[in-house]
Amino acid sequence: MMRSVEGVMYQVNAPKGVDPDDIFFVQVDPNKCEACGTCEEVCGTGAIKSINDDGIRQVVDTAACMNCGQCLVNCPYGAIYEGVSYVDELFEKLKDPDTVVVSMPAPAVRYGLGECFGAPTGTYVGGKMHAALRKLGFDYIWDNEFTADVTIMEEGTELIGRVKNAGKEGTLPLPQFTSCCPGWVKFVESFHPELLPHVSTCKSPIGMLGPLAKTYGAQETGSKPKKMYTVSIMPCVAKKYEGLRPEMDDSGQRDIDATINTRELAYMIKKAGIEFNSLPDEDPDPVLGESTGAATIFGTSGGVMEAALRLAYEVLSGQKLNDPDIKVVRTHEGIKTADVKVPNFGTVKVAVCSGLSNAQKLCEEVKAGKSPYHFIEIMACPGGCVNGGGQPIDPDVRASLFKSMIAKVNRRYNARKPVA
Amino acid sequence: MSAMKMTRRGFIKTCGIMAGYAVLSVNMTKEVFAAAMNMVGMRQKQVYDADAHVYKIRKSQDNPMIKKIYDTKSGFLHDGPCGHKSHHLLHTEYKDRSARVKALKDKGVTLNI
Repeated sequence: MMRSVEGVMYQVNAPKGVDPDDIFFVQVDPNKCEACGTCEEVCGTGAIKSINDDGIRQVVDTAACMNCGQCLVNCPYGAIYEGVSYVDELFEKLKDPDTVVVSMPAPAVRYGLGECFGAPTGTYVGGKMHAALRKLGFDYIWDNEFTADVTIMEEGTELIGRVKNAGKEGTLPLPQFTSCCPGWVKFVESFHPELLPHVSTCKSPIGMLGPLAKTYGAQETGSKPKKMYTVSIMPCVAKKYEGLRPEMDDSGQRDIDATINTRELAYMIKKAGIEFNSLPDEDPDPVLGESTGAATIFGTSGGVMEAALRLAYEVLSGQKLNDPDIKVVRTHEGIKTADVKVPNFGTVKVAVCSGLSNAQKLCEEVKAGKSPYHFIEIMACPGGCVNGGGQPIDPDVRASLFKSMIAKVNRRYNARKPVA
Repeated sequence: MSAMKMTRRGFIKTCGIMAGYAVLSVNMTKEVFAAAMNMVGMRQKQVYDADAHVYKIRKSQDNPMIKKIYDTKSGFLHDGPCGHKSHHLLHTEYKDRSARVKALKDKGVTLNI
């Protein structure tokens, strides 16, 4: 069964115990494809390509697709659908009084969700989002931003260790790559496995919140881990893959039971009849809910880097960082590099990169032994998670009638091209 | 029927519309991408505004719940970041997934990498 969610089609499918490597998380509906080629243009790996003389595109193999969903958010015709959706199962769990349902929304969700309710692009709706989750019936309003802060502590400490012990036996190599982005992680595993020792051993924030909810969270609230149902709420399609990784069971259960994205959360709020715009701002539940500015900037390209530097500066220099704004690592697209001067230490060399074709360049540099950096942040989506494959579709991207006509003419013309 | 097709194709060629189509199609991709990046910039600006104005605390290490979880005496992660419990719950290992990509290429599928 298929369903339309915020202008995107979804297959109603909540897989359990399935190898995520065999799932098409995004695929093209051949009846809606107008053969314009935008998807192929934005795909970093070449996983989506023309499969016939009509120029109809398909994701050719799950092994080549990093599940980033950039093809989906950039398709002018809404021809690309999602293959996995937990919405129905989640509604069931929310109704079940015996299940402790835990919300775990990512930073970028709160900068996209409002758009589905008519707010201007990017409007921050964190308070309303927490209120809506409470109204939907979630038992604990925990927040993935808390574990973004945990990630900084873990990944920052790991980086400081690699820098201080560089060259010593048993030390992991520099540069250290970030590991928050599941599209990037699958990319490096698939195309550059020899670089895996460079990837931070830290799980992503959601990879940390799942097991913390079912251990620490269960302990703090007196909940039974077996009764807990953890819901990862993401601006992303690739997070659905991450949640299904077989090794994600360190809490003694599945760490993440369901993953939905921003569009699906908006759908659920509407379906439940909640008046989103008139909700009051509410705080998350404490313990696994409180977060900082360093955590919220994980939602944008350069944010993990800036948040990590806010820690690394203080640890390495022993001094207080008075102005937390480290604007030199903020970036819109492409690759940005910077030298950050840290007193009592020296220079920390960093690179921030979004888009998988840019990531490819930095990978080649590291392989050639020419990378001068200590720390490299990589996000699969240009601009970072705010532009994730699970975010609301930009109305400007969807084609006008004129564009649609041109594409149809194009398609007819291409169809007549003699086969070589 | 086939003669008609030939004529049509010839007509298109002489008009040079082929080139026109190609340009239009490239422009469309560019236009879609530019629109998307404009939207990204607006979302990014809101993120930094919230960091500066909505969040009272701006560094992870200053979050009271971070201090609580890493408290050396009573914290759940009392052995500190990258400590034993952290390694068990919060760190992971990666898998070489290149074999399936190689098999795909051996089948003749061209990828960008």
